[in-house]
Amino acid sequence: MKISAKNITPGMKLERPVLNKNGLMMIGADTELTGILVEKIQKMDVQVIHVHGPCKALPPLDEELARLEGRFRNVETAPHMDVLKKLLREHIEGLYEAHGSENPER
Amino acid sequence: MDLKTLKDRIESIQTLATIPAVAKHVLELLGDPTVSLAEISRFISQDPVLTSRVLRMVNSPIYGFPGRISSVNQAVLLLGLNVVRGLLFGVTVFDLMQQTMIGLWEHSMGCAILSRLMAAKKGLKDPEEASIHGLLHDIGKVVLVLKFPDEYEKVMGEAREKDLTVYEVEAGYFSTTHATVGAWVAEQWRFPKPLIDVIQYHHKPHLSKVAPMETAIVHFADVLLRGRGFGFAGDSTVPPLHPSSWELVGLSEPDIKSILGEAEDLLEEAADLSL
Repeated sequence: MKISAKNITPGMKLERPVLNKNGLMMIGADTELTGILVEKIQKMDVQVIHVHGPCKALPPLDEELARLEGRFRNVETAPHMDVLKKLLREHIEGLYEAHGSENPER
Repeated sequence: MDLKTLKDRIESIQTLATIPAVAKHVLELLGDPTVSLAEISRFISQDPVLTSRVLRMVNSPIYGFPGRISSVNQAVLLLGLNVVRGLLFGVTVFDLMQQTMIGLWEHSMGCAILSRLMAAKKGLKDPEEASIHGLLHDIGKVVLVLKFPDEYEKVMGEAREKDLTVYEVEAGYFSTTHATVGAWVAEQWRFPKPLIDVIQYHHKPHLSKVAPMETAIVHFADVLLRGRGFGFAGDSTVPPLHPSSWELVGLSEPDIKSILGEAEDLLEEAADLSL
């Protein structure tokens, strides 16, 4: 969803990358906004931000795992990368289990 | 751009108007090979902003010291010359990173944290040095963006279009990569030899002669951090891990999982760290 840059808060996740006025990507899509990023975006000359909504502190687990797959898309066959991806997947799943639900509030 | 032109232009980096005066003083001071801990301590203490940044950095998850360090003297005594030099460089490049690429500071801090945890797991003597290696490994990107913002924008655009990493695209624009450019600057600023090697070879860790283990750790940390999806270093995919680093660092699967677990809260804390 589109929201005004002045209304973004930490914990929101970008649906589209934030670009500066020259079109340089400043923050990638799917980045979770932190206090610092919010401050930075608000200092930039950007009016509208696309964030995933309605916003939760942690996105659904399947989205998070799909993003993990996406990040590894170019190294599927490289040595050891399958192991690293498996460990990261277990790690991320563990974070959700620790919270006791698939989509917890932090 | 040919290599010589690039090198000449990179080496005049200190005359850039965007480099703050205090950073110039830091670089001058640290460039003196005979500088003592006492001089560094005095220099930091004279500047309240620098003092507060140094203390915030020392007490951050980048270093992970238990308990609070509340004075510059204490920090300097505890950390020793090499680490304090690295710390000052880190504080100095913070501003430059913030100016150049959003997310690069987070990427660098994340690398510092993972490198330190890996070094500690390996039982290396000074895990704080690994922090500095992780923190400064991408200094070449900072310099390239500062010096050539338009060209670097094209590099990032091409990486995005062709689904490559910026490292793979850079040579087409600069005849070399941020790793080599970073090493030039590191030499010019008289960084310690192992740090120069880490910067030069963090994408080709098997070529490191001076600091093979340190370089392998930062390379591994870089890959793992991108895998975790923390920070932004100019592109969106994970590069392959060089098999030599897997062998050399030699962490077991449970080791890696425990490092990821330990890093999680530290990364979250670091994401909120501003200097």
